[in-house]
Amino acid sequence: MARLLVIEDNDANLELARYLLEHSGHQVLVAGDGVAGVEVALRERPDLVLCDLQMPRLDGYGVLAQLKLDPTCASIPIVAVTAFSMAGDEQKVRQAGFDGYFSKPIEPESFVASIEALLPAGRRG
Amino acid sequence: MDTTMTAQDTAALLAEELPDACMLLTLQGRVAHWSRGAEAAFGYASDEALGRELTELVVPPDRRAEQTQALADTARARSLTYESVRRRKDGSMLCVDVTTRLLARDSGVPMILSSEKDVTDIKVQRDAKLMEARFRDLLESTPDGIVMANPTGHIVIANGQAESLFGYEPGELRGKSVDVLLPERYRRAHVGHRSNYFQQPRKRAMGSGLDLAGVRKDGTEFPIEISLSPLRTEESAFVMSAIRDISERKRFERALQEKNVELAAANQAKDRFLANMSHELRTPLNAIIGFTGTLLMKLPGPLTPDQYKQLRTVQSSARHLLALINDLLDVAKIEAGKVDLLPEPVECQALVEEVVATVRLQAEAKGLTLDARLPETALVWITDRRALRQIALNLVGNAVKFTDQGGVTVAIARETRGEGSHWLCLAVHDTGSGIPLADQSRLFAPFSRVGHLRPSAVEGTGLGLHLSQKLAQLLGGQIHLTSLEGQGSTFTLEVPEH
Repeated sequence: MARLLVIEDNDANLELARYLLEHSGHQVLVAGDGVAGVEVALRERPDLVLCDLQMPRLDGYGVLAQLKLDPTCASIPIVAVTAFSMAGDEQKVRQAGFDGYFSKPIEPESFVASIEALLPAGRRG
Repeated sequence: MDTTMTAQDTAALLAEELPDACMLLTLQGRVAHWSRGAEAAFGYASDEALGRELTELVVPPDRRAEQTQALADTARARSLTYESVRRRKDGSMLCVDVTTRLLARDSGVPMILSSEKDVTDIKVQRDAKLMEARFRDLLESTPDGIVMANPTGHIVIANGQAESLFGYEPGELRGKSVDVLLPERYRRAHVGHRSNYFQQPRKRAMGSGLDLAGVRKDGTEFPIEISLSPLRTEESAFVMSAIRDISERKRFERALQEKNVELAAANQAKDRFLANMSHELRTPLNAIIGFTGTLLMKLPGPLTPDQYKQLRTVQSSARHLLALINDLLDVAKIEAGKVDLLPEPVECQALVEEVVATVRLQAEAKGLTLDARLPETALVWITDRRALRQIALNLVGNAVKFTDQGGVTVAIARETRGEGSHWLCLAVHDTGSGIPLADQSRLFAPFSRVGHLRPSAVEGTGLGLHLSQKLAQLLGGQIHLTSLEGQGSTFTLEVPEH
């Protein structure tokens, strides 16, 4: 079991990620925008962060920058889960420093396993 | 004359009042005396000039060797007469007739007396007459404004086009410095350019990267393009400037530039729109496909057979919608010219095998054979891998989709045509029902449905062939169809080497 933070402004999509991850036995923290997401991450130091890109107040790139700058959070993997999936979007996301990229719509059958593969060693399974 | 003056006074008076520039120089060319005539001619006051080298003061760089030689010749031959060019303190140039004499008395150091007469106007008038006689008719026949200047930068001849370009009366430019045609801010630099130009004259093309301006008699400026060429006569060296008013062209360029900025902005807006549309359509689809998935995975609990069947319908419809969005965006990108092709060597056998492997399960599920007929030797083609793969996948996928019995064959070959051009041919043959001739022409149009296909067989987006044909055209090729009703179809992609 791992502690995962999902930062997502769309309620339905937040619920989907939460449901899938909890169903696989993970503890899920949620935040509805980037600012709240950074607060939760700094306070709770989850094992991994799933982050939407387009959000009010602070977007996914902003979240990434703030968390990677914080010494206590810098090593936490942050994956982008985004509906930006045109040519070049994945490259842009990876170049920015995200540890993973998932385009929406996600594949519900394989989503959790793909996220678990990105967990730091020792927090998997 | 005042009879009380001594001979010495008279001599001193004469030396001072002579209009010519009279100078006493050391043998090395340093100024020891500087007459009032010299002050007037060159613009330097006596106390500015004394003790300095004449070359440093008034001799332009291209005349310095000549000046050094003249001093040496005077020291040897005791006197010398020659023509030269001088530069005033303000940078303007003048022609001078120089007469020198060596003053070597028994006692004291030998000195050189140099008397220099400003002959600029005389020279210009003489040159003008000469050049007018020789070139006037020729110059009037060219469309450009032509101005010829002598080494001191004075206009010896300007054609009618130049006069009207700069707003002068006929003949009014003769004798003026070419500097009057340039804005004040360029003049100083121009003198330097001119001196350099006479040292190394060469032809310089129109508008050789310089943003130049001309100034009319009334002071207004306008953009010009100048081409310079040296012209040598027995008399002297001239610079011929062909001048063209480029106001019109500048206006066009500016308008074009503004248009380009506008277009770029419109293009960016379109890009943003496409990206946003894609984003906004995918966001709700994520929840639809996601939760349909969780239900079908029975995460919340068991399903009745009807619930399962209906959820499968929701799922396939949602996936269809996603495919439609993807294809529409691809079409929009191609039409907006937003597809960047990346030509690279593509191993065609491997690509076909990969496509066949992707579709094999579907073919087997329908009981169809699926064969690839590949050449023995490696077929490597320089083209865009992604586009080629997308087209191949679409053609093979369609063939399997629309064939109920028999099978599908994929073949690739390299063909050489007239003029030694090489083409890659990828042919996909099926044993389907064939496409009636009447329908063949609109097959590549978006959302066209042709033939007597059962509705259940129609599960594509209706954009696949349209998109494939567009991609083929981007690659410089096209897709052909040969089909007979009841005897199957062959779609052939032809792509030239990049």
